[in-house]
Parts: sequence; C-alpha cells; structure tokens
Amino acid sequence: MEPREIEELLPFYALDALTDEERDQVEAYLRAHPEARQQLDEMKEAVSALPYGAAPVEPAARTKEELMARVAVDREAKSHALKQEQAPRPRETRWVNIFQAFGLGAATVAILWAVVLNIQLSYLRTQVSTLSEALVAQAHSLEQINQQLAQPPVSETVTISLKGTDVQPQAQGQLIADPNKNSGVLVIAGLDQLEPGKTYQVWLIDGGGPKSAGLLSVDAKGQAVLIVTSELTIGEFNALGISVEPEGGSQQPTGDIVVLSDM
Amino acid sequence: MSRSKNANGVSVRIKDESSLLSSKDKTGPEQLSDEILVARITRGDSSALEALYDRHASTVLGVLLKVIGDRALAEDVLQETFWRVWRSASTYESERGPFTGWLFRIARNLAIDAHRRTNVRPQVLVTENDVDALADRAPDPDTDVPEQAQVDFRNQQVRAALASLPRVQRQVIELAYFYGMTRQEISKATGEALGTIHTRARLGLQKLREELDREEFEG
Repeated sequence: MEPREIEELLPFYALDALTDEERDQVEAYLRAHPEARQQLDEMKEAVSALPYGAAPVEPAARTKEELMARVAVDREAKSHALKQEQAPRPRETRWVNIFQAFGLGAATVAILWAVVLNIQLSYLRTQVSTLSEALVAQAHSLEQINQQLAQPPVSETVTISLKGTDVQPQAQGQLIADPNKNSGVLVIAGLDQLEPGKTYQVWLIDGGGPKSAGLLSVDAKGQAVLIVTSELTIGEFNALGISVEPEGGSQQPTGDIVVLSDM
Repeated sequence: MSRSKNANGVSVRIKDESSLLSSKDKTGPEQLSDEILVARITRGDSSALEALYDRHASTVLGVLLKVIGDRALAEDVLQETFWRVWRSASTYESERGPFTGWLFRIARNLAIDAHRRTNVRPQVLVTENDVDALADRAPDPDTDVPEQAQVDFRNQQVRAALASLPRVQRQVIELAYFYGMTRQEISKATGEALGTIHTRARLGLQKLREELDREEFEG
C-alpha cells in the first residue's frame, strides 16, 4: 500500500475501525514515519471526546448491586485461595505436635519401632515382587491420567439471568456455571428480609421435580451468594427456583416461590 | 512499578499508587483520580471500583444504549464492562492514556459484539434514511436521564461540537466509532465512494477537534 493510501487510514485507525491487516500496516507506517504521530494524536484527541456525545443514562440500581455481589464473590475466592497458600502444611504440623507431645520419650518409641520394622522386613521382602507388578500397572494408569491432563481444559461457563416472581418482582440475579459440571455460583440481589424462623431455599428443577441446592443467607442489603451444588450436572436442569421455607429448609418447596427462571 | 501479563501474554505495567498519590489525596475514594482508583483495584479494593462506577457508569451506559438500542442488554453489558475493569485493572497502563479511554474502549468493543450478536450487520442499507437512523439513534425515551447530565458542561460541549459538523461527516464518524463499521462497510452502506468516506472522516475529525479546542473542552 502506498504511503498516501496509508495516511488515508489514519482517521479510521484513530476511530479503531480498521481490519487487523490494515491496523498492522498503519502501525508499521507510524514506526517508519514518526512525524505522522502528531497528526494521529490530534485525531485521537477528537475521538476521545465521542463517548460524551451520547446522552448519559442513569443505570438501574440492581446493575451495580449485581456487579458488587460478583466482586464480593471474587474477593472471597481470592482470599480463600490466599489463606490456603499461607496455611502450614498438615504433615509439618503433625510432626511438630508429635515431638512436642512425646519429648524425650520419642527416642524410646523410635527404638521399639525399629524392632518392629526389623521383624516385618522379611515379610515385606516377599511382597516386593507383588508390589513391583502393581507399580507397573499404576505407571500405566498414571500415563493415561497425564494424557488426559495434557488436553486443554474445556470450559463453557454460561450466565443465566434469574428474575423474581410476582411475590418479589424486584429480585434479580445470575447463575454462573458450566453446564457440564455439578456446581455453579448463584448471585442474587433485591430479596426481602425474612421473618425469624424462615429461610430462602434454592431448588434446581428437572423432569423429576425440584431438588434442593442449598439455603441462602441474605445480607442486610438483600444480597446473597451461594455455591450451588448438585449430583447431576447443571445442564441437566430445566429451571432454578427460590422459595421461602422454615428454618433449616424443606424436602420439597412449601412456601412462596420468589424466584423462578428457565435455564 | 508492578508488572503483569494481559490476555495476549503481553507484559504490561501500571504505576504504583504511591507514585500517583499525593498527601492531599489520602481521602475517600470519591476524591481520588481515576488512575489512583485503578491502582487500588489491582490491590483488591472494591470501594475503588464502586467509586469509578459511580463516576462513569451513566456515560458508559449512554454509549452502550446508543450502540445496542436495548436497555436491558445495555445494562448487562455495563455490568460486564466494569467486571472487566475489576479483573483486568493490572493491564491498564496510565502512561498510554487516561483511564476513560481504556474504559470506553472496553465498553465499545463489548457493545459492538453484543450489537452484532443481536442484529444482522447492515451490509447494505437500503436508503440513506436507514443509515441516518442508525447513526442518530436516540436513547430509549423511557430511560432516566440524570438531572446532573442536563447541565453537564462537558456533554454539552461535545454534543454542540458534533452538531456543528456537516451531517455526512458526523455520520461517517459515528458509524465507525459507535458501530465499529469499517470504511468499506460505510462506503457500501451509504453508496458513496471509498475516497469520499476517507475525506469525510478526515475532515470531520479535524473540524471536531477545532470545535472542541474552541470550546476549551477538557476530556
């Protein structure tokens, strides 16, 4: 492409409306002709104002509530992962406790242990050949597992919108889950506070009827987050519902259905 | 200066908050600059995200609604936009431009994707009026325009500057920016020669900048 032709692309480069190939050509041209930068910067300055040309619109309150609920879940997950990383390894803790508990007596235990081990030695030797055969079999299994792990993970996470029924029409939420897996994250906002002795219960519904997926603990703002788990994969269910139940939950929905959405 | 890698594996960096934060800035999040708030998000401060949302969500939603045309979908994309700010704050480079440029780019790209998923792309628009309708799409009349926006000087400046452009120049700029249409697509849609589209885009951006300079616009 001629330099003059590439210069004609500069406005569209500033507007971010070029094909990948055209963008590469412009960037190569800019590297070779730094003097064209100033012209581009002036165009970008005008483009940066364009968003303010659209009339601003105040978002619905629930959009922010759902966003902040997602963020809260993410923070919690990161915090949990960090605590797990920082926690002492169980094996180290166990050994420290053993030495503290037994003190000098540990030496005596070690001697007795050695005697027992010596007696068992001959027995163990007879088992070596058997174990060797088992190891060969395990190595084969391990190879198969490694082959599976080498495959790229398949994640098809989807977001399902949840809406309140006429009982609580202001309730809004999302179920974020991989349909091929047995769990997902439920984020919901706008739920009413319940009277003492009542709780919200989540139901996953398939052809066989509703199956409990856990109880919701709603905060003062009417928001709740729940890791939904099921014996079946999430994709096997047709709908998700939330009902009001006696504290501790029920075997089947008995109270008002406050959320019901197809999946 | 912390470093991380973005989704493309490109190493990026963001200034430490200490280099952006002056002593007088040590107040509530709503008092801090966008760039400081982004730095705080990289440390997991959700109140910083909330402050950025409160500051820019109405402008972002205005853009999204203009592109998508559906209020419910635009609200979903708005949430996704700020979710990406939360998850990708470490990829923002303050040296490469203001936060708003980065934010609007995320929103615009998501909006164009959503628009393409829900609409057949206008390969050939039958009449010039169709193109005008797309470029001039007004917000949903049921939407709540915040009272503050009525007197928002910055918005008024930009709208006045855009209104001063010849209609055909404004049309090319808006179709390219808000709908991500390539120059070839605009040429095909408007029935104008590619060279004409080039000229309109160049002259339109030039005039827009002159008008903004004249009005002493500060983005």
